[in-house]
Amino acid sequence: MSAAEPDLADLSLVDAAEAMRRGEASAVEVLEACLRNIDASEATINATVWIDREAAYTAARAADAALARGAPLGPLHGLPLAHKDMYYQAGRPASCGSLIRKDFVPDYTATVVERMSAAGAYAFAGLNMAEFAQNGTGHNRHYGDCRNPWNPAYITGGSSSGSGAAVAARFTYAALGSDTGGSIRLPAVANGVSGIKPTQTRVSRYGVMPLSFSADNVGPLARTARDCARIMTVIAGHDPRDPTSADISVPNYEAGLDGDLRGLRVGVPTNHFLDDADAPVLAAFEASLKVLAERGATILRLRMPLMDAITAYASVISRVEGGTIHAQWMRERPQDYAVHISARQFGSLAIPGVYYVEALSRRGPLLKAFATEVFGQIDVIASPTIKICLPTLAETDVDRGPPGTETAAMGFSTNVRPFNYLGLPAISIPCGFDPKGLPISLQIAGRPFAEAAVLKVADAYQRETTWHKRRPVAVMA
Amino acid sequence: VKIMTASNFVEHTVETIATWQGVSPPNDVALRLVADLAKTIREFEALRGTLRFEDEPSSFEAALLEAASIGVAL
Repeated sequence: MSAAEPDLADLSLVDAAEAMRRGEASAVEVLEACLRNIDASEATINATVWIDREAAYTAARAADAALARGAPLGPLHGLPLAHKDMYYQAGRPASCGSLIRKDFVPDYTATVVERMSAAGAYAFAGLNMAEFAQNGTGHNRHYGDCRNPWNPAYITGGSSSGSGAAVAARFTYAALGSDTGGSIRLPAVANGVSGIKPTQTRVSRYGVMPLSFSADNVGPLARTARDCARIMTVIAGHDPRDPTSADISVPNYEAGLDGDLRGLRVGVPTNHFLDDADAPVLAAFEASLKVLAERGATILRLRMPLMDAITAYASVISRVEGGTIHAQWMRERPQDYAVHISARQFGSLAIPGVYYVEALSRRGPLLKAFATEVFGQIDVIASPTIKICLPTLAETDVDRGPPGTETAAMGFSTNVRPFNYLGLPAISIPCGFDPKGLPISLQIAGRPFAEAAVLKVADAYQRETTWHKRRPVAVMA
Repeated sequence: VKIMTASNFVEHTVETIATWQGVSPPNDVALRLVADLAKTIREFEALRGTLRFEDEPSSFEAALLEAASIGVAL
């Protein structure tokens, strides 16, 4: 590729799919564009755990052959995707970012991966992640820390660190992440991409490494809200193999993106979500509200109820469930965890069952009370996804840092975790940059199963702005 | 009987984990995070009496479905 030629990997997922459908690009060309960016920047970014180039070329050639013979094409036809390395694919590794599962090769495939494959995509790489999806920074002691494409000294966010970094660095068009306490939205912020945590139960978790049975969610990170909408239409919906998945019809989310926010009420919290926010974040957030208003939305400031209870209970559920899953390995192989991971799990073992049941049993009543008070007045909640400007990897390196580093490493999930406890859908999209050139993001949350509204607001915002189109300097073509 | 106090909170909690779970503290960070559990206790203390349990059975999945239509214009 010459310097003057456009980089096909710089297209959004939807634009790349449509370019292939129109015959303007082949699947092999699209794959090779992604591989060129990997070869140029992976040594810096460290977003991948494994890459299967041979299988990728086989899949790309098959996609081109299908197009040539006029076969029916799915909405993701010919797209090379890569996923957090905890999505099981029969015969392929799934390290879960851990030493303990370094050699784990599942013999079955996650429903979401099967659905994306049926829609025409193929997976060609496993992406770096926090060990067992248990930190919000992207540190990984076993596979190396994932580094931010905007500035490698800074965190990528986690736990879907490689998913965010790979999408930002144009290694792939989209990646699945998982979100138990912000693990899709935090890396979406840090890497300047879009990422949606669906409603709890909206997407099947069959074939996905569990962290917290009650709070785990599967969702995509991609360049645009429209990309996320296309993927959500493919992966959402009931799965008989995941009995916890909701049996509710799935709309065509992409078809609902019309940019028109007239009649939509956007709620801006007057408590919790903006408390102690950094000035650049507040400025970018207020500017984003003006964009939504210009699109026709009504902005209403209101107090979010019950936040003390929601915050307290949210912190307990995933810790106890994660501690339960890992208790046996903590007895047998504690040395095989990174320091900050085993430390987190150790403390969780002391949380009383009474606290856990209290948090779980009040989840439904609290959701109904919250929804009645909030969604009686507004349709979506807008907030910064992270209230502070991004910290560096060194500032949040618990394993190597001084006492107190753990507070810095765990302190920026305050705006994302409440929506895991409440089970609400929430998307994070870029809305600016801080003075150091690191991304800032806007979070939009909605009623249960209102992914369509959340995506519509995010898409409307992206029609008026270009933050999501910016490309990290570290990986400029 | 040794009573847990603020001054022996970490020591007592570590003993409890060893007794009930068979796991020893893996590192110093673990001890600091055990100390941080005092914050969790304070948060739960602050909620006592502010919420009540419902007598009837309920499920979170049902609450999600019910909350989906709250405030939606018909």
